Amino acid sequence: MLLRVENIHKSYGAAEILKGVSFDMAPGQSKVIMGPSGTGKSTLLRCINHLTPPDKGRIFVDGEELTAKNLNTMRQKVAFVFQDFNLFTHLRTVENVAIGPRKLRGFGKKAALDLAYKELERVGLSDRADAYPAELSGGQQQRASIARALAMEPKLILFDEPTSALDPELTGEVVSVMNKLASEGMTMLVVSHEIGFARKAADEIIFMEGGKIIEQGPPSQIFNAPQQDRTRAFLNVIEHGDDA
Amino acid sequence: MSAWFDFAIEHLPYVLLGVPTTLGLWVSAMTIGAMLGLVLAWARIYGNRPIYVIATIYVEIFRGTPMLVQMFFIYLGLPEIGIVFDPLTAAVIAIGLNTAAYQAEYLRGAVRSVPMGQMTAARALGMGKFQGFVNIILPQALRRVIPQWSNEAILELKYTSIAYAIGVTEITARAEKIGYETFQFFEVFLLIAAIYVVMTSIVAQLLLLLEKKVSVPGL
Repeated sequence: MLLRVENIHKSYGAAEILKGVSFDMAPGQSKVIMGPSGTGKSTLLRCINHLTPPDKGRIFVDGEELTAKNLNTMRQKVAFVFQDFNLFTHLRTVENVAIGPRKLRGFGKKAALDLAYKELERVGLSDRADAYPAELSGGQQQRASIARALAMEPKLILFDEPTSALDPELTGEVVSVMNKLASEGMTMLVVSHEIGFARKAADEIIFMEGGKIIEQGPPSQIFNAPQQDRTRAFLNVIEHGDDA
Repeated sequence: MSAWFDFAIEHLPYVLLGVPTTLGLWVSAMTIGAMLGLVLAWARIYGNRPIYVIATIYVEIFRGTPMLVQMFFIYLGLPEIGIVFDPLTAAVIAIGLNTAAYQAEYLRGAVRSVPMGQMTAARALGMGKFQGFVNIILPQALRRVIPQWSNEAILELKYTSIAYAIGVTEITARAEKIGYETFQFFEVFLLIAAIYVVMTSIVAQLLLLLEKKVSVPGL
């Protein structure tokens, strides 16, 4: 297994956000985590690379357990794409992508920039390489942040609601980049309500509620024949956009 | 007015001989202040409890007492316990330690104004706290601090004049000497004021140029 998530618990004060979450991912798989807001999806994602250290439970990447000691090296294998992009404001787009290889992977300046240009091409942003983040649209910023993740050549990319800060007309360009990565065999764990990606690119949908996984399975099953009433009700809402 | 020009031209060379002292004192003190200020700012933001407390006490003491008192303490007080400095060194230390407290606070504010997500993204890439600070937070904070830092730099350039009180012959000391020799205090201090304005204006323009040169859209 590329990723093993074992019995993750997390509380904030008295509020128990995650109540024992476990699942595995094989290399090349794409999984989408869905569920009502406040249900712990993003917290779970942040627990996986210890941006939020879990209270209990273990995370294994490629068979190696992620601990406080190997945090910085393990995070290079587990890239993270944020909802609000978090590109480095003072760096040009290409420098944003190059800084990881340059500072963390021991690349020389030239090699890091070459890799950065290559990754920008992958996300269709070659022509904006010299722009600063503030000069990019939201969709471009998110694609740049995906390129930044790719430049670490990670084993796995975690996406935390990558399109929810974007206008509807900009989500398409991000989703199509994600679809492309999935088809190229990138292992991706995505918290998103983006049905397009979930249907087309996901191998499995994980449905969470109340800090637990209540249902998981291939998209055809989850979307067409959900086993749980809660899953059905939730999908109804996000697919039809009303309170049905 | 032309009498003043004659006076100014006559005494300018003697006063200008103090400019290297004034500028040297200023540059040295600002450099000490910037380096120590950076350490203090780091300690106040990221330090554990004892380190935070020490840095905070430092800042409060050096902001809370007059610089002249600090300078007298270093030059006149410390020799009593066997630590002796020449006047110029004492002045550099006093102004440096004092401006460090202010620079630390400006820098701390600038670091705090960098959105949290920047450090989170650095950590998510695999950078350690210190790596994230040096590579991501500091370059942004330094850009944001330039306007305040410019104020501090100009303030300290003028404050070098109090080194006169412990016998450093910078430009103010030289002016006073001319004053007592000629009894033309009005003329001589007008001349000195003009020299300070020229120096501070040049510094202000240079720092403005720097601010423009390193500015980045969105910062």
